Amino acid sequence: AQRHSQQDSHIQYERVGADVTMKCGSMDWDAAVTWTANGTDIDDSHLNGSYLILKNVDLTQSGQYSCYEGSSWHLKYQTNLRVGVPPKEPVLMCRSNNYPKGFYCSWHLPSPTYIPNSFNISVIHGTREMVCEKDIFPKNRCHIRYLQLFSTVKYKVTLTVTNALGKNSTTLTFDEFAIVKPDPPESVVAKPVPNNPRRLEVSWQNPSSWPDPESFPLKFFLRYRPLILDQWQHVELSDGTSHTITDAYAGKEYIIQVAAKDNDIGTWSDWSVAVHATPWTEEPKHLTTEIQIIGETLTQHKPLALRGPGYGDPSAGGVW
Amino acid sequence: MAAADIPSAALRHHDLCSRGIRLARKMRSDVTDLLDIYVERQGLDASISVAAVDGVPAAAAERWAEQSGTQRLLDNLAAYRAFRTLLAQMLEEQREQLGDADAELGPALAAVLLQVSAFAYHLEELLELESRGAPAEEGSEPPAPPRLSLFEQKLRGLGVLRELAQWAVRSVRDLRQLAKHGPGTTLEGSGTALGLPESQ
Repeated sequence: AQRHSQQDSHIQYERVGADVTMKCGSMDWDAAVTWTANGTDIDDSHLNGSYLILKNVDLTQSGQYSCYEGSSWHLKYQTNLRVGVPPKEPVLMCRSNNYPKGFYCSWHLPSPTYIPNSFNISVIHGTREMVCEKDIFPKNRCHIRYLQLFSTVKYKVTLTVTNALGKNSTTLTFDEFAIVKPDPPESVVAKPVPNNPRRLEVSWQNPSSWPDPESFPLKFFLRYRPLILDQWQHVELSDGTSHTITDAYAGKEYIIQVAAKDNDIGTWSDWSVAVHATPWTEEPKHLTTEIQIIGETLTQHKPLALRGPGYGDPSAGGVW
Repeated sequence: MAAADIPSAALRHHDLCSRGIRLARKMRSDVTDLLDIYVERQGLDASISVAAVDGVPAAAAERWAEQSGTQRLLDNLAAYRAFRTLLAQMLEEQREQLGDADAELGPALAAVLLQVSAFAYHLEELLELESRGAPAEEGSEPPAPPRLSLFEQKLRGLGVLRELAQWAVRSVRDLRQLAKHGPGTTLEGSGTALGLPESQ
């Protein structure tokens, strides 16, 4: 027989572990009905009269449940069961990586809820409520523009997460300066210094997200070590975006990273991407001399036609 | 200002700005240390919130980036003159409360008071260079401190030091803005930017 579906199904949220009873629309308790889950008939053991009983539901029991009248196969009831959990306390983080323009707050849930959640964030500065403009990407993030600088009044950010099964919230209170943390320096480059077996020249750029390095200069922290050792060496640089390492072990490959901090406030950035470099090393002399001798010998016994510019020609200093 | 004077004025301005930055940064570091001593000595909770205190210049600034150089100097000077009075009052109160028994808070307060006075004088020099001259101080006698309970006095002191710490950071930024634009520029963005070597 053809099953007739004309009822709009609604969504029913239930907690994991709950006992769920579904009534077959307006059908009496003792009416003959058939229940399906995602189109598959449910056996009578789950029925109490025309009621469907689901004990201690789990996530796998989410789905579309339908009830049809016994003889006419008319759809009498349909629902989308969504099994999930209420939200746990969300993890909230606020940071200013573009001081003094503003700061952003981002959040996540420590564990999934398996059902849709909605987030609401409020930012209070003293008595003033500030707008947190949602970023398109990444999703769970919004940013606030500073209306005031150098304020001693703390910021209070409250994030509330709500879903059909419950609600939770987190509040952060912080000073303007405390959350200032630049992004790592960019374009880090390390190069050997010709004829200097113990030097490496390192240069980098201010993070592009830092809006005004001239008025709000950054200082830097450089760390470097040869790959063969675990112990880092550090140097702090209060201005400029380059440094020459002068105590490198000759011939050893080095790993180098840089971090940044506002000169006066806030905390250090994460370390930059690591770069590798090996100090300049002199060409091994004994190999060079042998090659030169062989070259000269060949030149003397070769027919004239074969001699070309720079081919073993000492005046050209050509050494290959 | 004669043509020959401009380079020397610019150099003097640059020197005053960079020395002012160093002084403000040192002051901030000392005020931060003083705050720790103050909180501990006065038995306060470091995280306690202090509402805006009457008579204490707030460092908070709106549209800070749009301020003119002269406005920055005038705001700074007014603030540090006020802090000079407030710190002197605090020092007086502290001596009445603790007498000579306290060998740490008093000297730390006195040292910061000295720096605040020096910085105020420094700002006056900069204003002179702006060929504007520093405004005269209002009246000879500072306003009498309000009658407060001991706890209110302590909270007020905390509020003063917190604002001063913020002002020190603001002053560093203000002086950097000033250094960018050279002497005698009332508008932002004009004048030559004199790169300032940052020294610790």
